[in-house]
This record gives sequence, structure tokens and C-alpha cells, in this order.
Amino acid sequence: MAIHTQVWRAVYGKSADAIEKSVENVDESIRAIICIPRLFPFTFGHVDGLPLSNNVSPTTVANTASLLRIVAFGLISAAAIASRLFAVINFESIIHEFDPWFNYRATRVLAAKGFYEFWNWFDPTAWYPLGRVVGGTVYPGLMATSGVIYNFLHYFNLPVDIRNICVLLAPGFSALTAWATYMFTTEMKDSSAGLLAAAFIGIVPGYISRSVAGSYDNEAIAIFLLMITFYLWIAALKQGSALYGTLAAVFYFYMVAAWGGYAFITNMIPVHALVLLLMGRFSGRLYVAYCSWYAIGTLSSMQVPFVGFQPVRTSEHMGALGVFGLLQIVAFASLVRSHLSSKQFQDLLTVSVISMGLLGAGAFIVMTYKGWIAPWTGRFYSLWDTGYAKKYIPIIASVSEHQPTAWPSFFMDLQFLIFLFPAGVVLCFRDLRDEHVFVIIYAVVASYFAGVMVRLMLTLTPVVCVSAAVALSTLLDIYVDVAEPAVPENENSSANGTGAATADAKKAKKNAAVGSQAGPNAAAAASSTLSDIVNAAKSSSKSSPSKQKGIWGADARLVIILNAIGMLVYFVFHCTWVTANAYSSPSVVLASSNPDGSQHLIDDYREAYYWLRMNTPQDAVVMSWWDYGYQIAGMADRGTLVDNNTWNNTHIATVGKAMSSPEEIAYPILRQHDVDYVLVIFGGLLGYSGDDINKFLWMVRIAQGVWPDEIQEPNYFTPTGEYRVDERASDAMKNSLMYKMSYYRFAELYGNGNAIDRVRNQNIPKIGPTLDYVEEAFTSENWIVRIFKVRKEDPLGRDLKSANAFAQGKKRKRSKPVSRRRAVV
Amino acid sequence: MKLFAFVSFLAIPLAFAAKDGKDKLISLAASGNGVIRLDASTFDLLTAPNRDWSVAIQFTALDPRRRCTPCKEFDPSWNAVAKAWTTVSAEQRDNHFFATLDFDEAPTVFQKLNLASAPLVWVYPPTEGPRASTRNLPSKYDFSTGYEAGPLSIHLSNHTPVPIPYKAPIDWARWLTVVAGLLSFALTLRFIAPVLQSRWLWGAVTIITSLTMNGGFMFTRIRGSPYTGHDGAWISPGTQTQFGQEVQVVAAVYGTLAFSFVMLTMIVPYQSSPARQRVQVYLWSGVIMLVYSVLVTLFRVKNRGYPFKLLL
Repeated sequence: MAIHTQVWRAVYGKSADAIEKSVENVDESIRAIICIPRLFPFTFGHVDGLPLSNNVSPTTVANTASLLRIVAFGLISAAAIASRLFAVINFESIIHEFDPWFNYRATRVLAAKGFYEFWNWFDPTAWYPLGRVVGGTVYPGLMATSGVIYNFLHYFNLPVDIRNICVLLAPGFSALTAWATYMFTTEMKDSSAGLLAAAFIGIVPGYISRSVAGSYDNEAIAIFLLMITFYLWIAALKQGSALYGTLAAVFYFYMVAAWGGYAFITNMIPVHALVLLLMGRFSGRLYVAYCSWYAIGTLSSMQVPFVGFQPVRTSEHMGALGVFGLLQIVAFASLVRSHLSSKQFQDLLTVSVISMGLLGAGAFIVMTYKGWIAPWTGRFYSLWDTGYAKKYIPIIASVSEHQPTAWPSFFMDLQFLIFLFPAGVVLCFRDLRDEHVFVIIYAVVASYFAGVMVRLMLTLTPVVCVSAAVALSTLLDIYVDVAEPAVPENENSSANGTGAATADAKKAKKNAAVGSQAGPNAAAAASSTLSDIVNAAKSSSKSSPSKQKGIWGADARLVIILNAIGMLVYFVFHCTWVTANAYSSPSVVLASSNPDGSQHLIDDYREAYYWLRMNTPQDAVVMSWWDYGYQIAGMADRGTLVDNNTWNNTHIATVGKAMSSPEEIAYPILRQHDVDYVLVIFGGLLGYSGDDINKFLWMVRIAQGVWPDEIQEPNYFTPTGEYRVDERASDAMKNSLMYKMSYYRFAELYGNGNAIDRVRNQNIPKIGPTLDYVEEAFTSENWIVRIFKVRKEDPLGRDLKSANAFAQGKKRKRSKPVSRRRAVV
Repeated sequence: MKLFAFVSFLAIPLAFAAKDGKDKLISLAASGNGVIRLDASTFDLLTAPNRDWSVAIQFTALDPRRRCTPCKEFDPSWNAVAKAWTTVSAEQRDNHFFATLDFDEAPTVFQKLNLASAPLVWVYPPTEGPRASTRNLPSKYDFSTGYEAGPLSIHLSNHTPVPIPYKAPIDWARWLTVVAGLLSFALTLRFIAPVLQSRWLWGAVTIITSLTMNGGFMFTRIRGSPYTGHDGAWISPGTQTQFGQEVQVVAAVYGTLAFSFVMLTMIVPYQSSPARQRVQVYLWSGVIMLVYSVLVTLFRVKNRGYPFKLLL
């Protein structure tokens, strides 16, 4: 079929009448694909003059456009979900990393025992011997979501395993995120930009990093909630709608229940409202939107037990309250002003409004000093004072995702979006409607936060996608538009610089531009590029096109479009590569490649946890560094001293002290805490760098924070300040329990050869450490997990060191033990 | 009885010696503004095995020949904390001493203690008296919190009889600058208001801020990365590190690319001459292709496993 000619006709409108009615729909879809921005005719001012509408009713066009939107959106969702399944395909349907294991465990409780049991769940095995009130110290949104899905499916007799729901929750929500981003971006520009933004956020690695299948963490649903709340806020603001404001509050409540990062919304919306106030854009719409969001959102957020009264008592939430109060004052003032005319009274009013604002701010300060309002919590404070956490809360500084971001991470996570992003922000400044102000503030704030903490890259990603989509879509709108502007008549004279720009003549051309028909009255061109720029800037800033815009020549258009398509294709390749290689590892199972290139799985973690589960008593307590607490609880089902919740610094410091002290000092600590097994992660054999020896300094630092006299970081370095594990390691290092357990019998593995630690590339001494108070219980295949059993006290009352020495037939030295035995008795 | 008398007779000079030593230390501390300048013999006196006082010693090398910049940076903080200690009441004050031992005044002590670096702060606990510690080993101050006086005084307060009443001095210069800045802002508000209301000023601020942040500025700030490497290299391999200069380069690259897109979107379509417009389209497209290739090449230097490349 002569599709080509028909497209040509459709585009140029020469013989549109010839198209048969029966194939109308087919033709439309083809047309629509060819000229993308025409898909959405009602969003464009200049579409009226197009030949497309000559014989096709506007309804048909609109219907086709929305059908195509739906199809495009379906494809985007499919791509978003599919690219997150690398983890399942390469490995298996398994829960990833650390925190998801807790969420999974809690969800299982919720699914098995119901919501009330979950709400009242006290977990005695965590934080042994303290226990943890899980229901009151958790953001329940994620588990509740999975629980609802689980019950929903089971109600329809679809017996889906709760694990698979947990694994696939994040990919599923990524499709919803794409939809929310589409809606948000549609408010910014139009639906074509919205589709681009949805496609971007669907596959961008910055978001995939936290939402691959199996990454069952709060962020999995939180980004969707973030975007939908922002969209509803913008919709509420644009229409002054209390309904949308209330919906925003409802989703805000869901967000509060789901993620601690809700404070970002709690501060973004007030800042937006405040900036609009300062720009003199106060309106009834702003008042209605903000007040309905704030009142309902705050009250409902207080229903989450873990949040409780924080919204009225902590500094993070005071901004929202302050803006709420300010809006009341301003609204009152504008009401009074509209009823009065006296100039003096208005002056008085202004003064009183300002003084009331100052008084309110003063009251906040006083209340903070008095302690009625809690100051910024450490986690938030460390975002502003970046050195704060390292000095005072090493536990926060020690987390790898709290480290600052180097530029390669930005490029890795966002690729070409990162440089389209500023261009989009510039376009927002050009239009600068109320919603654009929001994007601008979001851009600045999120850029800063993403620079300070790697994990906050997640909050930057949506705004980058939105902004880049606006930029790219604007570019495509201009360059895909086949309507050419009139060619100036005296083009030659423009080179001589004699022509003068006559704006009126050009304006007259604006609506008459149809196809390639060149108008007879052309305008004289401006004399130089500089004046072009000035004119363009002038016209764009006034946003009233005093001068026609458009592109002459198919080649210029083609260059830009091909360039854009090339970038998009490259982006897809980049995202696929990053997702497959960097973000799809469960980190519970490690992958390496054999010499022949095939994949080799290293499954030490599960091997060890399964050993614990099968070979230790049900009530055994395992001590490990807090990173592995959730995994031990989830996979081995044994009690732990500390876990990833990190709510009790002293308890963690106790573990740090035990790990960094010599055996004799560590042993009483272990016994006091009923520790049966000690688990360490050791990567020296395999070259696995995330092991405990590399984390050891943080244990020392955290222990030092609580016992500065007993544990001191400099002691663990060589006198020249190096961190070594070989012969030259410091005494404190060599005697520490962690070092001993890591390198226990390590040198024997190499026989007569040099025992090399492959992470630190150092030779381990031939005569390795000896252990008296703990004994080796299990070492996994690649030595990644080593488990040691804590020995019970000697039945004869000797200390274990001399008991061991006796058992090995060593003679006691005469000087030492006399007093010691007496002391024991 | 006789024996006892003899022993007590022997003990008198010892006691006097200790008393003398302490008096000497007190006077030394008083004359040195709270800090005792040590040499080999006073060091031995100060760290005598039977002491009922604690002592914090700064090992340093302030002589310009030693080129110890951290020492110079730390010395004022040390002296400020020691000065703060002198304001404590006498009976508490005389149970803790601050001392400074310069390498050039007592190199033998450095050798004896096997010290190879400076500055160091060691705190010797008392061995006698009510505060006596069982550990005779000095504890070392961890400089990971920097060379400021605040954290130092907090740390040392763990070892002193009463907390050190150190208060950070009010930074008058800073306050004056702030007040002057605010005042001048208020005075010139009338004149600069049009500038402040210009959206493009705010636009420029916004764009520059986000470009710098996306270039990894906060990383260099928090980690204190150097501007360039030791060997003059300006790009540090590895995705988890970067130098200060990389921020500028990367921000400039992003900025150029974004600028090209802005030109293509906001300027080129408004051209009045087809020829000039075509030239600009090709120009900016070329710039985008080229700079993007440079960016990818830079990224390949950082991330060696990255499989894609563009023109370069």
C-alpha cells in the first residue's frame, strides 16, 4: 500500500480528500507516528492551521492520540518492569541486601498473623537482650501494601507466595511511578513531555538502583508516592481545588507511613508556597491548596505510631507549620485590604503582618531553646553541617550510602539526562508559572542533597527526568514541526547588514504559516547574530512571540532529530548495561566469572546462614557487626545483638568494643550478652572488599565514642599511620578479636607459600593468631563467612587461656598463674 | 621503731622532691600561660612514674625548617584550650598540666618514644592519688575531628579533674561581616531590587548551583580532596574518588551541553535568515556531539569497564 504517499499527503494536505473513509483509522495512526507532537492537538496553539484537520474530525484525532498515549504508556510500563527483572533472571527470585530482609520478615508476620499481631509485634530476638517493639518503630506502609496485595490475590484464589509479591513489588511500583511522573510532567508542559519523562524514569539507573526485583525496601514504593503527592499538590495549586489538596494529603499520609524521607515533601511544599508568597503570587488557589494539604496531611501523618507527635514538636516539621501560619496572616491581610481603602490603614496592616510574622518566628526560636520543639535530628542535621555526623554520630557516617557523591555516580545514574536537566530548568525559568517554580526549587534542593549523600540520588532522579523531558520535548516540538516559517525576501541583503527588523510584519505571518507556502511579504532579517539573540531573548522572556519561530530546511531538522534519537538509543543501551551490571546483584549471592566467561555464583552467605539455622539451638544468639543483623534474623532465624535498625548506639558500640578488644576483655562482654556464636565476614581469600576488616575502623570509631579510654583509633594503625594486617600491624590490631577470627588458620591454607590477603594485598604472617576463648565452628566455602563458637567457662574455674595451655601440654610459667587462680577462687 | 623512723627519714626528701617537682611544674605552667615548654629533663619530671597529676602533652615541630603545617594549624587551638584551663580554681588546676614538646628542643624524647610524626597529643593519667589510673600508658588524641579547639577540649575534659571551661571565642570579624552585609543590602535594596527581581539572575544562580553540585562539589568539600593529584594529574581514576579540578571540568562540560540545547531551543528557531539558522543548527549539533564524546571519554577514564564510546 502506498503508505508513503498517504503520509505525505496527510502531512502536506495536498490531496487529503483522496483518502478512503474505510482506512481512516489506519492512516491516522500512521500519521500520528510520523509527526509526534501532533499527537496531542489540543495542547498546541499553532496546530489550527495544519492540514491534518482538514477532513478528520477533532474527536477522532483526540481519540487516536489518547489511544496512542495508552499504548506508549503500556510499553513504557513493560520496559520499566522488564528491565528490573535482570536480578531475577540472572540469579533467582530472592530478597536482596540487608534492610529488605527485615521488611520481608515483617511482611511474613503480617501475612501470616494479620495486621493486629503485626502492629503489636515485639521481637525478643533482635537487639538481644533488649528486644524491639517492631510495630511502633517501623514505617508500616511497605508491609501493609504487600499484605493488601497478598490478601487481595488470595481472596480471588490466586495462591501467590508472599515472597514473590515482595520481590516483584518494586518493579510493579516502578510502572506506577512512571505514570505519576507522566501526570506531573503533563502539568509542567504537555503530555508529550509527560510520556518522555515516564520513559526516562522507567529505565533511568538512578531509580532502578533502588527498585530492582528483590529490592524490597521502603524506597520501592516511596518514589511513586513522592511523585503522586507532588503531582496532586501541583494540580491542587493550579485549580485551587480542595479535593486535590485532600488527595495530596492522603498520599502524603501514605508516604509518611512508608518512608522516613517524607520530610522531603514536608519541606518542599512549604518552601514552594513560601517562594510563591515572596514572589507576590499569593492567591486563593494557593491558600486552599496549602491549607487543605497541611491540615489533613499533618493530622493523618500523626496517626502513624512511629511519627506520633513529631509533626508539632520537631524542627523538621516547623517550616510547614510556619508557612501555614504565614498563609493565614497573609490571607487575612488580603481580605481586609480588599474591604478597605484607607492608605494609612493599609500601611498599618502591612506593619502588623510583618511584626506578626517576626513574632511567630521568635516564638519558634524561643520554643526551640526551651526544648519544647526538638532540634534537628542528627540524620537531618548532617545534611546541612556535613562534618557533623563524622564528629558526633559515626554510626550515621559509617553507612556507605551516606557517603558524598562523586561525579561519575551522577553520570552513571542519569547519563545524558544530567546535562539536559539544566536546559529544562532554563525553560522553566522562561515560562515561570507557579508549577515551574516548584521544579526549580526541587532542582536546586535535590542537587545539593544528592551531592551530600549517595542515597539521595533517588530524590534527584525524578526532577532530572521531568526537567530533561521538558527540554527534549520542547526541542522536538520545534524541530519536528514541518511548518516552515516564511523565507525572508531580501535574504541577500541581510548579509550586508542593511535590513532592519520589522516585528509587525512578522507577527502578521504567525498564524498564516501553512505548509511550504511562502508568504509574499517577508520581513527583513536582523543585521547580526547578536541582535538575533537579543530579539529572541526578548521575545522569549515576554513569552509573546513578536517574531515567528520555525526551522527552514529538512536537513537542519533531520540533524537535530537524528541527534536526539541517537542520544535516546545510547541512553537505552547505557541504562541496560548499568542495570544488568551494577544494580542487579542481590549482594546476598555474589557473581563472578569463570575463566571461560561463564558465570560462577558465590553463595557463601546463604550457606553459612543455613548452617546456623540447621546446626545451632533455636535460641542461640549470634553476634556480628550490625550490617548482617537483619540477614541473620531473616535467613538463619537466630537472635542478634545488633541489626540494621541502629537505634541504640551504645549497644552497637558494645559489639564494636568486643570486636576490637583482645580476647580476655571481649570474653566477659560476650558472656554477659549470652553470645553463643560470633560471625565475621572475611574477604581476604577471594578479594571481596566489603568485609569486616575493611569496616573494622568504624567499629573502633564507634566503640571509641563510648569508651574513649579503652579503645583508641590511633592504636590500630602502625606508627607511620598505615592500616596494615601483615607483620607490621600494630599490637592492638593483632590482638583484636576481629583480626584473630578473620585470620585464624588463614596461613595454613597456603601451606608453605605466602598467605596473601587479596583485599589488602598484604602478606599474612606464617604463624597466625591463636584463639582461646572462642573456637572455629564453621567457615564457608570461600571463607567469606566465618562462624566461631564462644566457649563456656572452664569447669575447673581456670581461665580459658591457661586451661588451653594445660590441655596442649604446655608448662605453666611459674611467675604468672598463682595469683590468677587465687583471684578466680 | 627505729627502722620505721629511718624509713620515714628516707621518705622525707622523696616527698619533698615530688612536692618540689610539682611546685616547679606549677610555676612553669603559670609562666607559660598555662602551657609548659618541655625539654628532656622536664619531660621526665612531668611524666615521672609516681605522679598524682595528669598531663596532656602536645608533641610538635614548629620550627619552619620542619615544614609541619598541621603543627602550626593545631598550636593555637592547643594554647587556647590550655589558657582556658588556667581559669579553673587552683586546687583543680594544679592536678592537670598542659605541655608542649617541640622536636627541636628535645629530639631525644622523640627517639625514646619512637615518634615519627607530629602533631600528637598524649594524655598521661595520674598514677597516685584519688584519680589514679591502673593504666600507665598514655592515651592518644584522635585528630580525625580536625585541629579545632572545640573537639579537643571536649576530648581532654574526659581526663581532667573538672571539664575544661573552654568557650570558642566570638568571631567578631565574621559577625561584623554579616552585619555589614545585611546593612549594605538593606541600604542598597532600592537600587538592586530590579536586579533581584530579574528571573535570569535567579536562573543563573540556580543553574550554576546545580551544575556545581552535579559535578561532585560536595564530595570534594566533605572529603577534602586536593585540587589536583601529587603528580599533577587532574583526574583521579576510580568512580568513588575525584579531585577538585574535576568539578570544574565536569560542570563546564555539562554547562556547555545544556547551553547548546538552550541555544537550539530558544535562539535558533527565532533566526531571521535561513542560512544563518542552518549554520547554527549544524554548529550546536556539532558542539553537542563533540562535547558529549569528551564527556564519555572522561567517564571511561573513571570507569574502566564502561563499554560504550562515541566519536573519541
